[in-house]
Amino acid sequence: MYKNYIFIFLIALVFSAVDVMGQVTQNGWKEERQIYQKVYDAKLVMDEQRSTTILQLAQTKPLIIALVFTRCTGVCSPFLLQLKENLQLIGKKNFNVLVISFDVRDSLKDMAMLAQIFDLKTNPQWTFAVTGAIDSLNNSIGFDPVWDAKRQQFEHDAIAVGVNTEGIITKKLIGMRNSKDLELLIKSSEGEFSPSYRLPGKSNLFSCFNYNPQTGKNMPGLGLLFILLPAVITFLLLVFINLLAKNYRT
Amino acid sequence: METIKAKKITALWIVVVLVLFVVSIVLGILMRLNQAEIIHHSPVTFYGNMTTHGLTMIGIWFVAGMAGVNFLMQRYVTVSLWPNIAGLIFTVVGLTLLWVSTFIGNFHAGWTFLYPLPFKVMWASWATPMFLCSLTVMGVGWLIWSLGMVMQLLKRYSISQVFAWQHFRKNPKVETPPFVLISMITLVGIIASLLAAVVLLVLYFMELFSSGSFVNDALLMKNLTYFFGHTIANEMLYLGLAVLYELFSEVSGRPKWKTTWYIAVAWNLSLIFILTAFFHHLYMDFVQPEGLQIVGQLASYLASLPAAGVTVFSVIIAVYRTRIKWSLTNLLFFIGVAGWVIGGLGALIDATISNNFVLHNTLWVPAHFHTYNAMGNVLFSLAFFHWFAMQFASNNIRERFTKAKLGLLILGGAGFLAVFYIGGAESIPRRYSNYPAEFPFAQMLAYAGAIFATIYLTAILFFFLNISKRCIKIIFSSSS
Repeated sequence: MYKNYIFIFLIALVFSAVDVMGQVTQNGWKEERQIYQKVYDAKLVMDEQRSTTILQLAQTKPLIIALVFTRCTGVCSPFLLQLKENLQLIGKKNFNVLVISFDVRDSLKDMAMLAQIFDLKTNPQWTFAVTGAIDSLNNSIGFDPVWDAKRQQFEHDAIAVGVNTEGIITKKLIGMRNSKDLELLIKSSEGEFSPSYRLPGKSNLFSCFNYNPQTGKNMPGLGLLFILLPAVITFLLLVFINLLAKNYRT
Repeated sequence: METIKAKKITALWIVVVLVLFVVSIVLGILMRLNQAEIIHHSPVTFYGNMTTHGLTMIGIWFVAGMAGVNFLMQRYVTVSLWPNIAGLIFTVVGLTLLWVSTFIGNFHAGWTFLYPLPFKVMWASWATPMFLCSLTVMGVGWLIWSLGMVMQLLKRYSISQVFAWQHFRKNPKVETPPFVLISMITLVGIIASLLAAVVLLVLYFMELFSSGSFVNDALLMKNLTYFFGHTIANEMLYLGLAVLYELFSEVSGRPKWKTTWYIAVAWNLSLIFILTAFFHHLYMDFVQPEGLQIVGQLASYLASLPAAGVTVFSVIIAVYRTRIKWSLTNLLFFIGVAGWVIGGLGALIDATISNNFVLHNTLWVPAHFHTYNAMGNVLFSLAFFHWFAMQFASNNIRERFTKAKLGLLILGGAGFLAVFYIGGAESIPRRYSNYPAEFPFAQMLAYAGAIFATIYLTAILFFFLNISKRCIKIIFSSSS
């Protein structure tokens, strides 16, 4: 009888594993996706007279792309406000900022209003635009807003994307980030190396993984053995104590 | 059966644990009052208190479980006294060093002391090595104690018997008592977690004394920290469960629980799952391979199934439509199981990857671990303390205020935990010494938390006075 229970348990285990994998893919590590890939060259419309493409806009100066929508009741406004304030704090002018709507309902008028609210309409560094190719742009960036029909809102991250003059995505920032992070994003789009995680040097002997830049793959490192070590030593200790204790058993 | 010396040292353990528990609760209340802005501590004092509170609590409830298991194990095997004494000395010395490093040296890297925080010295320069030494001293003492008990168990039972493998088949010739099985499973987990601490501390000391020529890998250090921290925090619960399996039926006037095939299977599986569940602490670490994140969630779910499922099932079967001789001891066990299950469910919710992205840095986290500790594990150990004090002290001290004590304990505990959960649901961040204006309810909840924690403390003081009085008599008595 209990064999049936074990069988059911194993089936449930397989299903739960599939579910967990789904959760990891849905939620994990988006900042690392699409880095060093080319951004989709979407056609941008700024107003009735002006239009351009992302690559044309990025051609002269690196670009920071911020994705928002005007009906957003969540993170968009604080995100834009903080982006504006942090960029003022940094004080550099050697890049442009593109605020683009990912909501097809947004019109040019809506975006112009947004620019006005943030007092950025006449700022030449900032461009507010809509595009007809938002899905392709989202895919190229790795941005996945999910429509919630009940709330009439998108579930989405606050995202800023650094693009260099060749149209390559150099760094992404997800969430409300400070001026230091933004500086790293700007530097990365200018071709400067910006670490997101301390890279192992010669003084680091026990890394869990070793990155091979030629193959682009992570290989298990010596550090992983250290995680296994306690379990292995425990097993060996048990065997050893058992041998010692054997003589006392009656 | 139980030797006089074993009774005396167990009584001493109980007094030490209860004194430190009361002090640690006071530190917790001070932190909540500071968050409520009723008192004003500097962040250094707040985080120093947080470090002391967390590590002392983990330490004392671990040794409380060990003391209970050590004492009851004498029913089955001869238990050496010296590893127990070594455990006591090393714990007291270790905790003293810890308190000196935090209260005098101002070390305040938090109870998880995540790398590289201990090296970002914002305290006396000697405080970091002293803090690491304090952990080393306690770890060595506990390792000696655990290995001593494993040695005694293996002198009586073979490996297959101690893990109850013979119960996988019908009609086993030798019966392994549930207490022995659970104690062994738990001791193995404890030894593995303490060895993880050894590796972690060696790496810390290597970096400390290398003058910059050696640096550690942050991912490795975090994995090792939680291998040690998460595992030991869970194993101490299992120590409490071992005591419950041994005493619950006995004090309820029911036949002793026996090991069945499903109890044997469940606890053997627990050993594997509990050693791999710690990966759920690293969901936020994008450099951790996805495979380990998946293992983390699966192991968290599966670890709870055998231990919790089987234990809850056994306890419900034991009390459902059964004439039970209720006493403070089995009531504490019973309420403790409920607290453990509720806290466990809170933990499972947080260990689910999609939820963890929302809940991880909120008050949900202290909510769930305080539930299974303050209303679970603590009650298991209090049950043992009460049983022990009643069993061996002279009978001229009457048990009084039972209902008041339990009522205050439940009211204070449930209220104090409820405000943590509400805070978590409101996305109020954890580990803030003061809350910014963006969290309007946070201060109010912290104030309510402090009030309920004070009620809980009042109940604990009743237990403390009652149990300590008896234990002090045992310590100074000339006979059994």
